[in-house]
Amino acid sequence: MEFNKIRELVDRYWDGASTLEEEEELRSFFSMEHPHLPADLKEAQALFGYFAAEADIPMPVFPEIGTLTGQTPATGKTVVRTMVWHHWMKYAAVLLMAIGIGYGARQFTSRHDGVLAERSIAADTYNDPKEAFAATQKALALLSRNLNKGTAQVQKLSYFNEATDKIKAN
Amino acid sequence: MSLAIFLSQVVPVRQKLYRFAYRLLENEEDAMDVTQDTLMKVWQQQERMTDLQNMEAWCMRIVRNLALDKLKARKYRRSEDLDTASELPAIQQENPHIVAEKQDVMKRVHGIIAGLPEKYRTIIQLRDIDGYSYQEIADILVIELSEVKTNLHRARKVVREQLQKLQVYGV
Repeated sequence: MEFNKIRELVDRYWDGASTLEEEEELRSFFSMEHPHLPADLKEAQALFGYFAAEADIPMPVFPEIGTLTGQTPATGKTVVRTMVWHHWMKYAAVLLMAIGIGYGARQFTSRHDGVLAERSIAADTYNDPKEAFAATQKALALLSRNLNKGTAQVQKLSYFNEATDKIKAN
Repeated sequence: MSLAIFLSQVVPVRQKLYRFAYRLLENEEDAMDVTQDTLMKVWQQQERMTDLQNMEAWCMRIVRNLALDKLKARKYRRSEDLDTASELPAIQQENPHIVAEKQDVMKRVHGIIAGLPEKYRTIIQLRDIDGYSYQEIADILVIELSEVKTNLHRARKVVREQLQKLQVYGV
């Protein structure tokens, strides 16, 4: 008798026409052992057994709600307190940068002074233009003399070349 | 005010949210992450809490969206080989033969349910495992009531056919 009623409910279930109460009745029925269950109800038994097992998923430990609501901006920001000496790396970086800039500036100044000194030596060799002219003439004369010495040697070479050409021609 | 609503309407459904996420993701850690993210999202939109008629459905909808995003992002693949079915709760039974047989039935049913299209699977789970009404399912999935009924009917039909085809019978 009971199986007939269950069969009717199962048919309604498969048709998608059962109510929540009827489905609850089916869940309750199939949660118990039925050694003489008719064969046509066994597929529903398998399915409802699966539903019961799935509803029984073990629950994890959820974090405190306070931590969740405290994470949002609405409840205010969390203030992280740090001591002054916790920033030693910042101070060290600033100090290193200052040392670097100071060293660079010093190097630049000394190099700049050297360049200026060189320029001043090159620019102020002679104050009087006549003296400068005389010195330039002297330097050019020296250059000319040395050049002439060279041409004399080259002249000898040309004689040698001419002699070689004559021999080749014969 | 919003904290009171949050504590009275959202926090108590945490387990349902987790269970729903777990079924979609089949992974405890991810389900926990999605549950926490959902609670945080709800809390961050606390100004909406007073306007909502069905807070639970809204939370479930957020869970579903986040879980589906996660599935998409990590390219999850629901295991068709029924490996995860072995993680189903153990059946308390003394006879090891019957236990093994029941586990086998569970795996096969799990395979059938897991093989359903996502919409069918979700509707069947919401209705047959969580016991939601048609209207609540419609609210969660943002679909028409008639669509819920039609899809549930089709889903059950497919499940029945598969059970008969694979000859899955309860022990």
